[in-house]
Amino acid sequence: MSEVPAVSIQHLTRIFRLPTLRRQTVTAVQDVSFDIAAGQIYGLIGPNGSGKSTTMKVLLGLLRATEGKCSIFGRDSARVDSREDVGFLPENPYFYRHLTGRETLVFYGKLCGITGSALKDRIGELLALVDLEHAADRRLAGYSKGMLQRIGLAQAIIHRPRLVVLDEPTAGVDPGGSRKIRDLILALREQGITVILSSHLLEQVQEVCDRVGIIYKGKLVKEGALSELMSVEDQTEILLRNATPEVLKAVRALISSHPVTDLLTMGHPRTTLERLFLEVTDGSAVETREYVK
Amino acid sequence: MATDSLLSSTTVPVAVPQGAPAPTRHRIFSPGRVITIAGGTFTQLVRMKVFYFMAIFAVAVIASSFAFADLETEGQLKLLKDVSLAAMSLFSMLFAIAGTALLLPRDIEDRTIYTILCKPVPRLEYLLGKMLGVVWLILISLLLMDTLFCVVLHLKTQSIISTQMEVLSAMKFPSPDARDASISQVQETILKQGMTWNLQFGVLAVFLKAVVLTGTTLLLSTFASSTIFTIMSSLAVMIIGQAQSLARDVFLGQDASTVPRIIAGAVSLVFPDFKGFDIVDAVVSGTVVEGLIMLKMTGLTLVYMVIHLLAAYVMFSDKEI
Ligand SMILES: Nc1ncnc2c1ncn2[C@@H]1O[C@H](COP(=O)(O)OP(=O)(O)O)[C@@H](O)[C@H]1O
Ligand SMILES: [Mg+2]
Repeated sequence: MSEVPAVSIQHLTRIFRLPTLRRQTVTAVQDVSFDIAAGQIYGLIGPNGSGKSTTMKVLLGLLRATEGKCSIFGRDSARVDSREDVGFLPENPYFYRHLTGRETLVFYGKLCGITGSALKDRIGELLALVDLEHAADRRLAGYSKGMLQRIGLAQAIIHRPRLVVLDEPTAGVDPGGSRKIRDLILALREQGITVILSSHLLEQVQEVCDRVGIIYKGKLVKEGALSELMSVEDQTEILLRNATPEVLKAVRALISSHPVTDLLTMGHPRTTLERLFLEVTDGSAVETREYVK
Repeated sequence: MATDSLLSSTTVPVAVPQGAPAPTRHRIFSPGRVITIAGGTFTQLVRMKVFYFMAIFAVAVIASSFAFADLETEGQLKLLKDVSLAAMSLFSMLFAIAGTALLLPRDIEDRTIYTILCKPVPRLEYLLGKMLGVVWLILISLLLMDTLFCVVLHLKTQSIISTQMEVLSAMKFPSPDARDASISQVQETILKQGMTWNLQFGVLAVFLKAVVLTGTTLLLSTFASSTIFTIMSSLAVMIIGQAQSLARDVFLGQDASTVPRIIAGAVSLVFPDFKGFDIVDAVVSGTVVEGLIMLKMTGLTLVYMVIHLLAAYVMFSDKEI
């Protein structure tokens, strides 16, 4: 592992002041700390309103931290030059609808200082990568959600950043479309690019991430390598198919006859991460604290 | 075990890339980025079909060149110039206010601003780019309007001259010399009322005024809570700007003490004093405007641009988006 982490977030707290007369505040993120080693795919999961987007925006220097620090490859996020190393796809992005896919990439490429034939080649490459060659000269106003996310991903990596930040990359995209996005994320890892993504869809996080952080009500409640989080040493799972009530009854009887073994659960299986998730969030995965303007 | 197979598929050994901070390639200020943002803004406004407004201008200019054919010649040309310059002034100010007021709220609402500011783009460059995009739009649209205006004015002048020639040729003169003298005198008088460089100074003044207003509107939009507020307050600035020197004369009089003068000076920073830009009436009536005045006006415009841009930056750099 390299010494400088791709992302370092230390004791990040972000408090929003609400535009009301009675100086109300919302603590969106509270004392969150984690590092991401270069080359990893990190998943930030949590229900809506738990502070995922806020964490990412502070990391990108779009919002200020109330307390704490973030850095990207050792450079403080508040500095403009730290953004040379990052690509960002915001949540539900809208790009300029009057531009075509190609024009969009030209615009963002130039902002990153790429010009001329280098830009042209890079755009051709990216359009092929995200499978939008056929729609390159259509205006974004006519793109589907999945296509927008893909052009968004292309603009995020146009300057070959070493870190890519994806906020809910598959939200609102149909299953076929989100499989495409997942494959693109895996392709980024092949190239050694670090990825941090947020999601409330656990299965997808489980499929692609090396490490996950579970964030709930602004706090990081669990954090670690997927392998560490998922294995519970003293427990064993038995998965049965076509078990009849008689078989289950016999199994129960066998277990209860054994002195040190306890039966913890019996029922239909869930994905492991989902169970963990429900455990640490008191089962209130659907609770939201949406801020309404 | 289910868990095992899941793990082996996710924790693939990873090629770790260089993790040290790369030496920065970042440039504190890049004209390329500013031009990119300005170009994007210009395209955005053009594709919002603002140029359709130009059709209204064309109709106004052409109609006013045909109207009141029974007015005396000078009156006809004056009317055409009055209408055209007033329309140019109105449209450029509308573009300045409406175009600028829409820009930031739209980017913030659509979250496009995130995708721009998360690139290595300083916020000052973003604001400058937006402002220059609108200025560019105003420039192009004024050039188009001015071209049409010049053509129509030229045709109108020519047609008036030929009518006058007919009148003159029907008249009796004591000598051929006297006839030539009076023909060239009439021609000269009419041409002076036609297209002149002096008149182009008037168009330049219209442009500069719109540029100042663009900066003001941008500044207002960095702290306004809504687009409507920005538009209303920009309109207010425009009106106050027109009336300011009048107010100053009324309230301060000639022998005011220092404090009110300083206050008036501060007010004129926020509310640009457009009186200094009012040469349109003068050029329409044919009064020659000196080059020095134009130079002063350009300088004043630049000063306002810089002040407004910096103030907008101060507001915007702290803004939560
Ligand atoms: N600009 C803001 N002003 C006030 N509150 C905000 C603002 N942005 C986010 N919040 C609040 O912060 C909390 C976290 O929001 P967010 O980071 O968007 O969550 P997530 O991305 O996990 O859904 C929410 O309660 C939200 O209402
Ligand atoms: Mg979010």
